[in-house]
Amino acid sequence: MLTKSTTATSTATLTNTALINGQPFAIQPGETILQFIRRYKGEKYVPTLCDAPNLDPFGSCRVCSVEVGRMGNGAQLKTVASCHTPVEEGMMIYTDSPSVQRLRRNIVELVLTDHPLDCLTCEVNGNCELQDVAAKVGIRKVRYPKGEVHTDREKDLSHPYMTADLSKCIMCYRCVRACDEVQGQFVLGVSGRGFDNKIIMGLDGNFLESDCVSCGACSQACPTSAIHDVYQSKADFGQGKVRTTCTYCGVGCQLEVSVKGDQIYSIRAPYNAEVNQGHTCLKGRYAFRFYNHPDRLKYPMIRKNGKLERASWDEAYDYIAERLTAIKDKYGPDAIAGISSARTTNEENYLMQKMIRAVIGTNNIDGCARVCHSPTAIGMQRTFGTGAATNSIEDLKYTDCILVIGANPTAAHPVTGAKIKQKAMKGTSMIVIDPRRTEMAKYAKHHLQLRPGTNVAVLDMMMYYIISEGLYDADFVNNRTEGFEDFKKGVLNINLDELERVSGVPREEVRAAAITYATANAAMCFHGLGVTEHYQGTYAVMLIADLAMLTGNVGKRGCGVNPLRGQNNVQGMADMGVQPYQGAGYLPVEDPEIIKKYEQFYGRPMPTKSGFTIPQMYNAALDGKLKALWLTGEDVVQSDPNTARVIKALQAMDLLVVQEIFETETTKYAHVVLPGASFLEKEGTFTNGERRIQRVQKVVEPVGESKPDGQIYVEMMNRLGYEQPPYSAKTALEEIRQIVPFFAGVKWEELGDNGKQWPVKPDGTGTEVLHTESFKLGKGRLLFEDFVETKEILDHQNDYPFILTTNRVLEHYNAGTMTRRTPNAELVREDILMINPVDAANNAISDGDLVRVESARGYVNVHARVTDEVKPGVLSSTFHFPEIMINLVTSDVHDTIADCPEYKVVCVRIRKVRN
Amino acid sequence: MSKNISALSGRKGIDDGLFEKMGQLTEPEGFLTKEAAQQLADEYLIGDASVYGAGTFYDFTRPENKGKKVYVCNGTACMCAGTQDSLRKELGRHFKAEEIGEMCCLGRCHENSAFYYDGHNYSGKDAVHKLFGNGQAATAHEDQYNFASSGAGILSAAGYSIGQCKEIVRQVLDTPAEKLLEEIKASGLRGRGGAGFPIGIKLEGCRKAKGAPKFIVCNADEGDPGSYSDRWVLEQRPYAMLLGMLIAGYAAGAERGVVYLRYEYPESIQTNNEALSSLRNAGLLGNDILGSGFSFEIKVVKARGAYICGEETALLSSLEGQRPEVRVRPPYPVEYGLFGKPTVVNNVETLANLPWILTEGGEAFAAIGRDRSTGTKLLSLDSAFNKPGVYEVDMGTPLRQVVNELGGGFRKAVKALHIGGPLGGLVPVSKIDDLTVDFESFAKNGFLLGHASIVSVPENYPMVVYLEHLFAFTAHESCGKCFPCRIGSVRGMELLQKAQREDFKIDRQLFDDLLYTLKSGSLCALGGGMPLPVYNALEYFGEELKGYFEG
Ligand SMILES: Cc1cc2nc3c(=O)[nH]c(=O)nc-3n(C[C@H](O)[C@H](O)[C@H](O)COP(=O)(O)O)c2cc1C
Ligand code: SF4
Ligand code: SF4
Ligand code: SF4
Ligand code: SF4
Ligand code: FES
Repeated sequence: MLTKSTTATSTATLTNTALINGQPFAIQPGETILQFIRRYKGEKYVPTLCDAPNLDPFGSCRVCSVEVGRMGNGAQLKTVASCHTPVEEGMMIYTDSPSVQRLRRNIVELVLTDHPLDCLTCEVNGNCELQDVAAKVGIRKVRYPKGEVHTDREKDLSHPYMTADLSKCIMCYRCVRACDEVQGQFVLGVSGRGFDNKIIMGLDGNFLESDCVSCGACSQACPTSAIHDVYQSKADFGQGKVRTTCTYCGVGCQLEVSVKGDQIYSIRAPYNAEVNQGHTCLKGRYAFRFYNHPDRLKYPMIRKNGKLERASWDEAYDYIAERLTAIKDKYGPDAIAGISSARTTNEENYLMQKMIRAVIGTNNIDGCARVCHSPTAIGMQRTFGTGAATNSIEDLKYTDCILVIGANPTAAHPVTGAKIKQKAMKGTSMIVIDPRRTEMAKYAKHHLQLRPGTNVAVLDMMMYYIISEGLYDADFVNNRTEGFEDFKKGVLNINLDELERVSGVPREEVRAAAITYATANAAMCFHGLGVTEHYQGTYAVMLIADLAMLTGNVGKRGCGVNPLRGQNNVQGMADMGVQPYQGAGYLPVEDPEIIKKYEQFYGRPMPTKSGFTIPQMYNAALDGKLKALWLTGEDVVQSDPNTARVIKALQAMDLLVVQEIFETETTKYAHVVLPGASFLEKEGTFTNGERRIQRVQKVVEPVGESKPDGQIYVEMMNRLGYEQPPYSAKTALEEIRQIVPFFAGVKWEELGDNGKQWPVKPDGTGTEVLHTESFKLGKGRLLFEDFVETKEILDHQNDYPFILTTNRVLEHYNAGTMTRRTPNAELVREDILMINPVDAANNAISDGDLVRVESARGYVNVHARVTDEVKPGVLSSTFHFPEIMINLVTSDVHDTIADCPEYKVVCVRIRKVRN
Repeated sequence: MSKNISALSGRKGIDDGLFEKMGQLTEPEGFLTKEAAQQLADEYLIGDASVYGAGTFYDFTRPENKGKKVYVCNGTACMCAGTQDSLRKELGRHFKAEEIGEMCCLGRCHENSAFYYDGHNYSGKDAVHKLFGNGQAATAHEDQYNFASSGAGILSAAGYSIGQCKEIVRQVLDTPAEKLLEEIKASGLRGRGGAGFPIGIKLEGCRKAKGAPKFIVCNADEGDPGSYSDRWVLEQRPYAMLLGMLIAGYAAGAERGVVYLRYEYPESIQTNNEALSSLRNAGLLGNDILGSGFSFEIKVVKARGAYICGEETALLSSLEGQRPEVRVRPPYPVEYGLFGKPTVVNNVETLANLPWILTEGGEAFAAIGRDRSTGTKLLSLDSAFNKPGVYEVDMGTPLRQVVNELGGGFRKAVKALHIGGPLGGLVPVSKIDDLTVDFESFAKNGFLLGHASIVSVPENYPMVVYLEHLFAFTAHESCGKCFPCRIGSVRGMELLQKAQREDFKIDRQLFDDLLYTLKSGSLCALGGGMPLPVYNALEYFGEELKGYFEG
């Protein structure tokens, strides 16, 4: 091989360079030979089987082998696997020399000696990596005589989503590694040794019996059809692909939907997605079949003689317009209200609030955030000035301490949850503050298992130790905040004995956690509904912000206060002005300057007083002050607390318009039902929990006569005499960016595959970390609040000695309207009540028993699961199934500031129900 | 390898080690039950599949081991000696067929007929009779073999008393770590486990690496069938090896030592545990040794039967309770080793040399031997020699001298010596005079010194059967991670079987492609190394083998 060494000497002087087949290219520090080659020569230049984009190098297939030599070392070549060998300066790499080709061909030939040779009948024929690689290396036939094989293994079809046919398995371990490195679930393993190695699920059972959470990472990773899914997501049906954003939670995963005509085949996760890097949870990947479910609402309906009857769109619009005008004429615009939906797009939320404000003329607009994250918005606005996550999910890379308060991200925000879990498993210290021993808590360094409703107590105790032990960041406090002296006085005055008693967390544990948090280089906080849905919800959020500022954990990488948003577009809904006191872009609606600005922009007189929050709407309805309500995409009867009262309020309405995709508990009370299009049937943008505005693209046409919600609003606005241009995401976004300051640079065409994080400057650059230089308020405000016991406990503790709190499961989304209409329902069929073994024993309750849970408001019967996930005295239940209606028992107590209902603390008593 | 499992297992560390617990839970049933796997998975926060899968890997934890009471050695030396069929028959009189298992090399290669029963090893012609002959006389059979040295005799002389141990430890503590490291580097001591890598470089790398605690792991898995020189060190020179670990720890900045010791050497495990107690009692281990501020503690971990665990990265995964599958490098163990912490893995014999280097100096050590092979080397000779046993010679000693003088020549006709374990070269007797005992001489002649065990292939032993055995051994012991070795070892075995049993001749091109694929494609030296003896056989015994091949 003399030619090779000649090339070498002539280029021996190049620094930071290596040669691919004689041609010099610049190398990057730390990259492997494979990464280096792919950067210049493309993804498929070197064949691989065990390598996958989101997995660590593994080096099992050896198909990626190349020959390497060193400059000045003549023709001495060595064969190495390119996927795990670092590239070095002066390396001469030969990717296709005869010996490399020989090696690859022979490895693949060996693989094929233990692989069924019936590609034509295989699910992934035409889209199989083994097939591709075999073709690329040029296998013509298998020369070995028939020997021992594993091609007679039985299929595993036990699971509603995951399938396995291990006769096709080539033992590349990609599935095992995906389950470990991406999802962190360890469901898959390998049994046996050597040639007998076999992929196993759990204890060598099947998918259904295993702890599989159906994330689909293994199926996506598997290069063959050995592990697949019921939608055959790797099959080639000649489909097209549409990229869109998941509708199920605030993580905002990017999805790649396979579609042909009006049929959606399957969903995969794009590897280049900045949010989810090739990962999703089962909701995003598999729970899409609701979109053409027979129950979908396909045409408008009007209630006649007590029954909802089919109507045309014109009839429905006329009916609504007539009633609205009459009510407005008779009672004034403030007798009308709207509730918008965090499942709809930014554009749609914007148009809804515009319709209510500019066309109808009232600020009575609110959204479901009221019942989840309104305290976050207010709490963070009061302290930082901006009610949004300070950092990005990407910051997990930079953090060395993670604080999770009142959130169960592995269930509610699965992809972010999986990332947090990955960090925690590898040793990043984690503090979990939660009444339940959640999955996260198991991996945490500190688990402060407080009594529900005492977040404020524990946060105050943490800050007590941080200040009294001098662990706060004096520089940050001096330069970036105000109010420290008062704050400090408040904190040092707390009654430790009392707080320790009510929270049930020993002070030493709180102190240790406080030290961990305060001494980390960068500590990142995530909080969820376990913080907000409380009597002191807003205060708890403020204290979290205080904690971050006190320790200098704001305005840099790897830290901050990061609310885990419930619904997918909670952030966007608030940004777009869906709250009664702030319009689009959080501008205060009672400020004369702002009113002027809106009036100019909308060309209509604007209301001057803040409107009703959702709970106030119910009160007003019961008081006869609210006569009409337009409700989009929210099953308030099932999801709002104190169901009986909600129903009464709805029944008091002269006009209830419900815009939905399915009939729900709430549509039972509607006068008009309008069929909306699902997220797969329309375009627009969602803003995820890290302020990332991402595109939603239309995959299929809306079913029946249903229409995108935005189109419905626009048509209605025109019907009510306001000229609003025909609906498209692009035109709506163009209007939004003119009025919402932090959307100034957002343009539909420029959002690209991964969107942009607001604030987006006019030149189009987004923002990953907020408050790097200063806060919106200038300085951050340190505001102290002391613990106050909730009225629920004070009033009912004696008669109802247990505390019930609520939680979600991974498999279902809120009221379950969508997920219950998918095979997710086969995985989790009903709500359950968690009860500690001690309480269970005292009340003669065993696993699976039906238990009556009774509060001062009402009772429900629910099956028990005996578990030490909850402490004695505490119960926890899900709320996804209308059959149970856990909200029959929840209370009327609300957060004192944001009016968010206290779902998380309900005093109850329990008894076993005899059949 | 799973970084997550490394870290999660590392939370409990070596004192409450997942692997050890797994082994203990196996003992009542003879295998890791699903219930036990589930229990461990919950305790260590990892998956049931991960634990259960690991349990199915080892000879003595997998379900097939259930109910086994006695184990017959199936190692190469016993196989060549031809003693095992009659042993099996004899044991069959005392045990049901399903109670008799197999074990690969008990280190009784000097007299064969080896078997394991109830926590002890036995060997020699009348062992079964002595054990079960007259009722229940279950006394452990004495195991005697020759030991001698020629030359410097470093390890021969290293039979320290506790008093001497104390002096050595004092001297260690009085020497600055950097100075000690320099001495070790100057000695040129290279690994005796097979790869011959200089130990000083590893210790230095570990010293510089970030992370704590750091580990010194002694590779006492001596898996090469036919080798028992590490067993000699473990049982006859335990203090030298344990102090070697302490010295290595001192030089590398490590505070924990782990001896990964094979299940097949029950006596060695006992000896080392006793030696550790004595050292501890003398205050030579533990916290703040002799008031110096230096702490070092050593633990013996019993392996569970898998040749691949001798490969250092598989060994580390094994210790973590993962499946012992070979890891990619980089990262190297000195940076990312046990539980993800900086770790130095060294062979028993390598470590046992360190006390001498400490007391006599690196230069004195480097003066012994030849070229880049400094110091001495232990060799183990099987029962085909007149004087089977373990011998220590200076590096560079003519092989002929070992065979004729120390080993006393052959007691039967031998055609080849398989030196350096299954992955070592197959030396035809005609080549003995060309070789000296050092890394360079073997490499230059197309062989491998390896760990330097010598197994004799008798004149009347068919070479094709021997090659089939090598493929079968590899297939049985392959971790199965990389494609060439997992599939190729089985296909090679099948080709050789078919050629012997059917009217079938092996396509030479195909066979050559297979060897090439194993050699240059395998991830580790098991798949990568096994072609060497096959190539040797094809070269030196081509005539004998040609009937099995086409053309
Ligand atoms: C398949 C295989 C088996 C091995 N078995 C052993 C063994 O039993 N004992 C040993 O010390 N080294 C063994 N090694 C070598 C180790 O990987 C490693 O090189 C050695 O423990 C390093 O110690 P040393 O440098 O002191 O030799 C084996 C290597 C391979 C590839
Ligand atoms: S679907 Fe997800 S959790 Fe289930 S086995 Fe596959 S990777 Fe693991
Ligand atoms: S099931 Fe698929 S991903 Fe898993 S080892 Fe087999 S071929 Fe690879
Ligand atoms: S994590 Fe959230 S956004 Fe991602 S796929 Fe699951 S539900 Fe959708
Ligand atoms: S060569 Fe064999 S033993 Fe080594 S990594 Fe590959 S499969 Fe495992
Ligand atoms: S891609 Fe490198 S060994 Fe498989």
